[in-house]
Amino acid sequence: MVTVSTSAFYERANRQISSLRKESEKLQEQVGSRERLSRSSDDPLAAAKLRSLSRRERMTEIDQRNSDRAKTSLSLADSALSSVTSSIIRARDLALQAGSSTLTLENQKAIATELEVLRDNLLGLANTRDGEGESLFGGAIAGPAYVETAGVVSYVGNASAQVTGLGDGQSVERSVTGPDVFSFNGPSGATDIFAVLGAFSAALNVGGAGVAAAADAALASLDPALEKATTAQTVVGTRMAWVETMDDRRVASEEMIAQERETVGGADFAITYARLQEMMTVLEASQASFVKLSGLSLFDQLR
Amino acid sequence: MAADMLTVGLSGAKVARGALEITANNIANASTEGYVRRSAVASEVSASSIAMRPGDISLSGARISAIHRNADMFRQAEVRRTSSDSARAAAELNGLENIESAVEGARVYDLLVDFEASLSELAADPTDPSLRAAVMSAASNMAGSFRIANDSLDAAAKGLQFEADGEVEELNVMTGELARINLRIGRTAEGTSERATLLDQRDGLLEKLSNKVDLQTTFNAIGQVEVRAGGASGELIVQGGSTFALGTTTAADGTLTFDVGGTAVALNGGSLAGKALGLQAIADTRSSLDTLANDIMSTVNTAQGNGAALDGSGGQPLFAGTGAGDMRLAFTNGDGLATAPSGSAAGSTDASNLVALRSAFENNGHAQGVSNLVFSVSAQVAGKKVTSEALDAISSSARIALEQQSGVDLDQEAANLVRFQQAFQASSRVMQVASDIFDTLLGIR
Repeated sequence: MVTVSTSAFYERANRQISSLRKESEKLQEQVGSRERLSRSSDDPLAAAKLRSLSRRERMTEIDQRNSDRAKTSLSLADSALSSVTSSIIRARDLALQAGSSTLTLENQKAIATELEVLRDNLLGLANTRDGEGESLFGGAIAGPAYVETAGVVSYVGNASAQVTGLGDGQSVERSVTGPDVFSFNGPSGATDIFAVLGAFSAALNVGGAGVAAAADAALASLDPALEKATTAQTVVGTRMAWVETMDDRRVASEEMIAQERETVGGADFAITYARLQEMMTVLEASQASFVKLSGLSLFDQLR
Repeated sequence: MAADMLTVGLSGAKVARGALEITANNIANASTEGYVRRSAVASEVSASSIAMRPGDISLSGARISAIHRNADMFRQAEVRRTSSDSARAAAELNGLENIESAVEGARVYDLLVDFEASLSELAADPTDPSLRAAVMSAASNMAGSFRIANDSLDAAAKGLQFEADGEVEELNVMTGELARINLRIGRTAEGTSERATLLDQRDGLLEKLSNKVDLQTTFNAIGQVEVRAGGASGELIVQGGSTFALGTTTAADGTLTFDVGGTAVALNGGSLAGKALGLQAIADTRSSLDTLANDIMSTVNTAQGNGAALDGSGGQPLFAGTGAGDMRLAFTNGDGLATAPSGSAAGSTDASNLVALRSAFENNGHAQGVSNLVFSVSAQVAGKKVTSEALDAISSSARIALEQQSGVDLDQEAANLVRFQQAFQASSRVMQVASDIFDTLLGIR
């Protein structure tokens, strides 16, 4: 004979109702947090995926900050190079003026003074510091890129510019080196803008017949100098474009990461809420039927 | 002798009354744990007929010959076996969940990624003192998270060991009681209510014991039990009136082993077996965590050795320690980070050594290693959760099956109440008739 013992009835009802409660509390938690997982063991594989996504997200954030730094450096370099090219153009104008035979010695000296100022400006530009206070055109050195000893300016920086990682294995040089801007091949071999301007202003200060020849020589050197500086500016421009391309890629990949994270770990609100509602209905029904059944005792019928 | 109608009626009333009392007792114990429904076994009392006069009526009514205990040995054994399994799985799951929260709660993975991120950021400007300080604090946080994970594992292990010791003690107390019950069963008579009560107590104790260890039970004819811990090939812990204490030994790595009187016992069920499995998992996780911590320390320290600190001197090891438990920073000044390659001038902004460290970190897969550890722990938890739920369902259906068979059904008892009340009334009526007959006889004049 199968009897339904009273304690078995209560035990079964107890288990059913408490398991329904547990289930609906879990759903409630998902609705509240919008996350499907509250601990890794809820779905180990998805949790591992979420971990690697959050790592990528964190790394992308750092890449973005590094890229912003590189962009700052590059735009500093760009504006420094604009000043460099305009200084060289001014020097070229002065060289043309100096070449004219109508100038007095006073005029020549005035030009020489302006050339010296231009040379100092260029030296100052060459020693520009970047956003972090490091030398902009000196590569990886701590101090200035150019030093002047006994009227001779020489480059003391590294052979290559600093490199910043942009993520995805890509990187960018965040400036150019001094020689990339200021050194070039003149009519008489390798030289730099400081030497050219120094020699020209010295000739102007002396005056006389040498001036015209010196002006010609300076003009011949200033053209390649200008070309070199504008080339450097173009290089900086393309590097900035590269940084921006990488920025765009990063935004796209961030969007992808966020979307993937939502797919893997997010709780779909509509579905979760509908399931919660369903669970509540079942729970209410079993509670009501439990009350009805447990009130059904033969003792009540016996008088 | 002819039947004595009054005595027959009285015996019937007594039987009905006894049955009513048993019904009342059943109702009173409807929710008593381990109570098995009793029923009265009534049998007819008949005197043997007198020699040479076989036609005579010789009836003496009824009596309650025994109190039957409606226990089903098979279902009880099923409840014990399944609850052993379910207790083992639940205890093991509990241990694994502790491991999961130790490793996840310490946020080892997040802080490791933060450390990597701080290295990446420093590479953009290796001489910046605030970025260097950020790397130092990220390194310190990461070392701290390893220590926290290790300490939490220690605490979880201590908790499990403590609980296991307590349970072993409890088990030894229970086996002592069981032995006493065995002795008392021997002193009671078959079919008495005292025997039934003792058998209830015996079964209750066996069920509690089966929650702690897997049992092999052998019952003799009068219901005394012989118990082995660790299944059929296990060791005797109760035999008649004597007990053999279960002992535990904790190894250096925190794992537990059990013995009875020095003979090792392999437990396969019950919460003690589950706790031993949990402790084993903790020991395994701790050694993986140590390996990860040592690998990270060696990657970073090797890179430090290849580079030059901010002042141009050779890089010194950043981490000190021999495992997750004592991983800490060897120096605290960020200037000591060897970002530049060995031989660089002081204040060099060359970050190539740092970049090498970053790629060594990536190539050695430290973050992946930590993620894998969390994955393996959480996958075990998820797997054991399924097992535990299944075993729990099996065990509860075995229990419900037992209760259906041996538990009290109040409706049935209500019906019995009416039935035995009617029987009592009928027997009283018989006595009334006997009395009337007697009066009739007396009334003859």
